[in-house]
Amino acid sequence: MATIALNNLTFTYPQAVAPTLQHVSLTFTSGHFTLLTGPSGTGKSTLLKLMTGLLPLDDPAAIQYDQVNLSAIDQTDRAAKVAMLFQNPNQQFAMDTVENELVFALENRQVDPTQMAARITAALDFVGISALRQRKLLHLSGGEKQKVALAVIVAMDSDVILLDEPFASVDPTARASLLRRLVQLRDKAGKTIILADHDLTDYQALVDDVVKVTPARNIVPVTVAQRPALFQAFEQRVSTTTTWPQPTSGQPAFKLHQLALTQGQHQLLQPTDLTLFQQHVTLITGPNGSGKSTFFEALVRLHAYQGRISYAGQDIQRLKRRAYARQVALLFQDAETQFLNITVQEELAQSQKHAAGTYFTTARIQQALAQLNLAGRDEQVIYTLSEGQKKKLQILLMLIMQPPVLLMDEPLKGLDLASINALVQLLQTTLAATQQTLVIISHQLTGLTPLIDYHLHFDQQQLRYQGVPHES
Amino acid sequence: MNPSLKLLLLLLIALEISFTTIVSLNIALVLLAALYLLLKGTKFKTLGWLLIVPLLPAIGLWSTQYINGSGDKTLMAWVLFTRIYAFVFTGATFTLTTNILQLADALEQNWHLPSKFAYGVLAAYNLVPKIQHEVQIIRAAGLMRGQQLSFWSPQLYFKAILVSINWSQNLAQAMASHGYVEDAPRTHYRQVRLRLRDWLILGLGLSCLQLGVFVIPWR
Repeated sequence: MATIALNNLTFTYPQAVAPTLQHVSLTFTSGHFTLLTGPSGTGKSTLLKLMTGLLPLDDPAAIQYDQVNLSAIDQTDRAAKVAMLFQNPNQQFAMDTVENELVFALENRQVDPTQMAARITAALDFVGISALRQRKLLHLSGGEKQKVALAVIVAMDSDVILLDEPFASVDPTARASLLRRLVQLRDKAGKTIILADHDLTDYQALVDDVVKVTPARNIVPVTVAQRPALFQAFEQRVSTTTTWPQPTSGQPAFKLHQLALTQGQHQLLQPTDLTLFQQHVTLITGPNGSGKSTFFEALVRLHAYQGRISYAGQDIQRLKRRAYARQVALLFQDAETQFLNITVQEELAQSQKHAAGTYFTTARIQQALAQLNLAGRDEQVIYTLSEGQKKKLQILLMLIMQPPVLLMDEPLKGLDLASINALVQLLQTTLAATQQTLVIISHQLTGLTPLIDYHLHFDQQQLRYQGVPHES
Repeated sequence: MNPSLKLLLLLLIALEISFTTIVSLNIALVLLAALYLLLKGTKFKTLGWLLIVPLLPAIGLWSTQYINGSGDKTLMAWVLFTRIYAFVFTGATFTLTTNILQLADALEQNWHLPSKFAYGVLAAYNLVPKIQHEVQIIRAAGLMRGQQLSFWSPQLYFKAILVSINWSQNLAQAMASHGYVEDAPRTHYRQVRLRLRDWLILGLGLSCLQLGVFVIPWR
């Protein structure tokens, strides 16, 4: 049990001009589930890191757990007070297997070794991932990793659980399952839960408190009366279950012949014959870990496969890597992967120099930057941008390259509603002019639906077109 | 056997045979090591590879010594030839039967190596497959932006270093949030004990080696 008080908390990153958080005074009630919301890049992650003690505070009294300054709590006792689940599922583990990671955490908490096995079993059972116990973390999907991370927190039995955009790369089923566990942790174990998310779907019935980041970088409670309006914007998007027609005929971009995929010893895709069509936007959905990203990696020859993939009538294994990369580009899920330079300006210049088409003139780039709310950041080091800004810049860079085929892996990950709308608008105008082929993997359909022509679903080792057969 | 003492024994053996010129000792070590590996359930196929892979460098050393060497050329050629195999096989008795986690446990628990060192090395080791894949991805991503990144391209290393720095920061935060505090006491789930038996094996092993070196060197 712990009540957390923020007392006039102000935080400025070293070298930053403006403070990330300003004069925040707020109390998080013990045993409550609090939703922390606000556009991406407004300091939600920073607040959570401050509350975990991962970032240093100027004023020690600014964050207090049960009237005790956070900095006064002995470091070895902090993990008992507060634990954090990070946004990026790939970077929260030090060990190789699920069990070893749990053991590592319990050893740090100085748990009696004779009790460890039982606590690990209980934690894995609680989250529903007993089958993953001996698996290598490297081979797990994003959603599975987040479940493991939650199991670690459950095993450590921390009073306060902080979650930073934990569902950014998690499919709806895994998300619902994780949310159910969190509610159980609050109701049965009396944990205090603070979750940062910009996507508010499904929270209305679950959370006790909602707080939001204001434009002035303060954080204020959202009263019960104000909440419906806040949640409504998201509920609407969900209720529209759009279906798209099945493709009938058209120019093929990719032809898959008996394509099969495996990850380690785990079969992801049974041998499949399928065609992806040129100058259309195809959406791929499917639960976490079904193999969507692996499928993209196979299409750009970063993952081995069985069977044959042909692009424009030629086996992709016979094409020169360099020439093929000019034809088919992948928008990686992790934005930083795509960056090659240091400042925003250098990145834009590089894309413009090597672009395959001429659609993006300097004027159009400036316009797009303004549209994406990225203007005036030319000299900024890309690695200091927020996750949302990185994502938007990454997409713009790949659009400037104008490859005939662009594969986009979770392009909306970590973006707030305003950014999504701006981005979809940019994609629409660009595609109308360039006639590019897009294949998009996305969990989040909000705002994306007007772009989509066809819908593929990847599940149970099958990849199939969805929707009603075309009327003709 | 305790992994840390096993490593110590093997290092001492390697050091000593580097200064001896006894073919029979090298062959005896290879045979003993092979026997040990078989008892530990190593497949014949793996042993076959251990024989084949060093063949080329071994022949190279043998011929260099045989053609250009000084003194007893034939003896020295065969000493070098068998020494390579002795290194490979004794080394394999460690790498094929002990994983890095066991060694890290032993170093932390028996020799009180700072846990940050043990876990730092371990975490880095666990990252190796990810790094290999990451380099592939960096190069592919470069091509997609119209930039060829060859193995001598500074940009490739710049990216790789950036990625590593980023990973290391995230890893440090992740370890901290999983309750890890530098130099704080920890409990140990996998107990590694340093028993009298381990010391006896070390002593006995070294004694036998001295027998092979000084008492019964058949050449």
